[in-house]
Amino acid sequence: MATLTVPNPVTDQVITALEQAIGKEKVRTDLGARIARTRVPAPFPVHRFAEYMPDVVVLPESAEEVSAVLRIANQFRVPVVPRAGGTGLADGAVPLHKGILLDIKKMNKIIELDLVNRTVTVQPGLNMLKLNEYLAPYGVFYPDDPASYPVSIIGGRIGTSGWSLIGSRYGHTRDLVISLQVVLPTGEIVRLSDGGGAPKVRKASTGYNLKQLFIGTQGTLGVVTEATLELFPKPEAELAAFFGYESFADAYRSTGALSTSGLGTLAAVILFDERKVDYLRRDDEAYIPLPERIKAVVATALYGVEDEVRAAANRLFRLAKETGGEYLGDELSAGDWASRHDRYATPLHGRLPDGTVVPMSWHCEDAAIIYSELPAIKQKWHEITDRYIQKYGIFDNWGMFFYSNNPYKGWGDYLVEIDIGIWEQALNEETWQAWVNLKREITRATLEHQGSISACHGACREGDAEFIPVELGEGGFELMKKIKRLLDPNNILNPSKNYLHLAYVDEEVGA
Amino acid sequence: MGDEVRAAKPDVAANGHNGVREIEQEFVRDHLLQAYGCFSSGHKFCREVCPVYQVTRNEQHTPTAFHANVVAMEKGAARLEDVAENYSYCTLCGGCELRCPNTLFVGDFYRNRTRTVKLVQDMRAAATKAGLGLWPRWQRWVEATLQGKNEPVLDYENIQPVDPNRVADWAKDLPFSIPQGGENILFVDCEAAYHRTSLPKAVAKILHAAGVPFGLMYEQWCCGGPSLEMGYPDHARYLAEHNVADWKKAGAKRVFVLDPHDYISFVEMYPQFFPPEELPEFVFMIDFVAQLLDEGKIRFVKPIEKTVTYHDPCRMNKRLGKWEAPRKILRAIPGLTFIDVDHVTQWAYCSGAGGGFAVEHPDLAKKIADLRIARAKELNVEALVSACPWSERPLTSSGREQQLEVLDLLELVAEAMGLND
Repeated sequence: MATLTVPNPVTDQVITALEQAIGKEKVRTDLGARIARTRVPAPFPVHRFAEYMPDVVVLPESAEEVSAVLRIANQFRVPVVPRAGGTGLADGAVPLHKGILLDIKKMNKIIELDLVNRTVTVQPGLNMLKLNEYLAPYGVFYPDDPASYPVSIIGGRIGTSGWSLIGSRYGHTRDLVISLQVVLPTGEIVRLSDGGGAPKVRKASTGYNLKQLFIGTQGTLGVVTEATLELFPKPEAELAAFFGYESFADAYRSTGALSTSGLGTLAAVILFDERKVDYLRRDDEAYIPLPERIKAVVATALYGVEDEVRAAANRLFRLAKETGGEYLGDELSAGDWASRHDRYATPLHGRLPDGTVVPMSWHCEDAAIIYSELPAIKQKWHEITDRYIQKYGIFDNWGMFFYSNNPYKGWGDYLVEIDIGIWEQALNEETWQAWVNLKREITRATLEHQGSISACHGACREGDAEFIPVELGEGGFELMKKIKRLLDPNNILNPSKNYLHLAYVDEEVGA
Repeated sequence: MGDEVRAAKPDVAANGHNGVREIEQEFVRDHLLQAYGCFSSGHKFCREVCPVYQVTRNEQHTPTAFHANVVAMEKGAARLEDVAENYSYCTLCGGCELRCPNTLFVGDFYRNRTRTVKLVQDMRAAATKAGLGLWPRWQRWVEATLQGKNEPVLDYENIQPVDPNRVADWAKDLPFSIPQGGENILFVDCEAAYHRTSLPKAVAKILHAAGVPFGLMYEQWCCGGPSLEMGYPDHARYLAEHNVADWKKAGAKRVFVLDPHDYISFVEMYPQFFPPEELPEFVFMIDFVAQLLDEGKIRFVKPIEKTVTYHDPCRMNKRLGKWEAPRKILRAIPGLTFIDVDHVTQWAYCSGAGGGFAVEHPDLAKKIADLRIARAKELNVEALVSACPWSERPLTSSGREQQLEVLDLLELVAEAMGLND
């Protein structure tokens, strides 16, 4: 019979050791410190609030201090959960076994700007908007642009392998990180680059490509303490164009045509389904009315030098028109694109089945699905969601987005998002389990259609995590477990995330 | 108008504490719906505009943490005393409320804007009422205010009361005399009356030159705002009642206000204590100067050859949405080169002086002021112009260290009107 390693509790001895190692002021056990780092925006079983509170919060300011914390955690066998911005949508930063919460936000320095070689080296606690404010006078920018752009931070983007709204032009986080400094679970500090160790070289074949191994680990394999990032020329022109369609089928075909157009400046193609258009019609102060005949929308954005964008815009508008699209005007296009970071999930748009307004939290599904499967996935996910709404009455269907997902080229696969409102205030264990079952059904549909469970948030949660072995297949998940055990022999770093508690089942550890 | 938002009944599970006490229940009742608006959003866009978070980088000093604590209290996972101390880490600037997607997109429609300033003030009051004794410096500050009838601005270190008889000493060496009472009253903020006396002098000269008759109160007391902000609403009301009675005795119809903190007390706090017919009209001096300029009642005759930028006082820009008049005035001053930083960017700016923050956390307040000055320095200006005497003390001090002059807008107006010659 397999047994799982149960992590040790954080004792006074652990606290004392932490205080001695990094200083008393950076070690906090007060409830305020712990409550503030309990949840992320993903749906949260608020009726079991205290279960997810860490025991102690540490606020290191250097790689050496991170290393000291991890060594202590190994010594005492207590869990460490790294937390960056805490804006993730899949619980990567939520403690499952309490323990030490390692918050990297104090590490927010810009270490070096190298305009000659087009790199900037930063600590991981820096926010992208702040970085771009710093870079603006130099005519360069760092194009990692998630919905949480004004607040999320670089360490979390690396930890989750984030997706960028303009990634089809500029790449996503993993394409924008040139090299990393990582503290391994056992405390060693290493520098890893693409296929080698040179901090500013983008492509090498000297060694294994270890850099990518540490991007998207959800803090299960290491803590990033420094990153060298790619800089692009600040775009001279940025054009957003939104097109309306009389049916989803038309919009879907048009999405395919636009994303395979070959336009190099095309930064994003985003398809909104009928339910999403309905959701956005729920009154709010920023809503720009759409004609009733519009049932689906495709949003596009072009970024680049002015000459290129001008020429590409002509082609883009012609292509959209030929495939049934109606341009929705400058006001809607520019306005909606400008508010893209804030507008698409608002708690007060939550509705109970009888129309009552309640503040709902937001589940943002983010499977990666190939183009051919999008209509089928859409149908299945809506059917599943609506069934649970009918039965439990505390969920709400906020419609679907399909975002181009392929870096540097918009075709192929899509980040598919169904947004579901959850009235957390009314949750109890029964409805929470209903929610997890809803998630499971969505995940099963993803796998049935050759999709990946998560394009960017991570598969850390119940409802996702247990399907990782299914998606990876026996050999793939076996390898993941081996790597985890090799690097983190005592299972201290973000334990039980990504179903990796299975890496420590006695009979498998062997010996 | 929008639909009413419904709240679920509190469902208290055993979450570490045995039940929820009356004190938390009462607090939760007042704040839960708003707290859930934030807790279930989780966007945290407020964070990088928060002046305190920008210097502490500590997630527990953020608006989202303040709201999460309310939910934790509802669920029995925290008691008042477990979390109250965090609420001193706020300058009550209101930037977070503006940057909140709930406010930006749906708050007015659903009549459920995020109200973090109110939450922080109420928590400070609840903690004080519960006798937690968390903030000894605020306690002394409010006690000294009651003793001196004005804030103890002359001694931040030991917090000793000022002499209430000297509240109008600033007017002594003016070339004209100011009567007591009358329809138009000039209310001079504590900081300006005792510390930055050049400001009320400049304002008196402007009004005098514009031919606007005005008087002073018989006995001016602190507006009471800081007492409210530090957790003592009853003391705030006591001070306010005196001022309202004094205005009544003077026959005041209009009160000119030269300080944003006073102004927000008068337009936000006083209406909670008094019916509208008992209150005079409150006129913010910057607005009034802009109006006088429009009407041609004052003129700028003396060029000021300087390159400056402007600091939006938080209470005006972030909490009351007033940011146009000062820019108009600056653009009208001859010789002045004005390099503007727009008011939305300035949602993230603060001097650190507000909400009692500098009294309780002087070291962090200094970091906030240093950051504000550093941002002005990046513009290669010779001076930073502010319109808030509370901001001017820390900004002047940081400005001295970073070699940047800090000016007051109304003093600059008096100078440009040639009133100092």
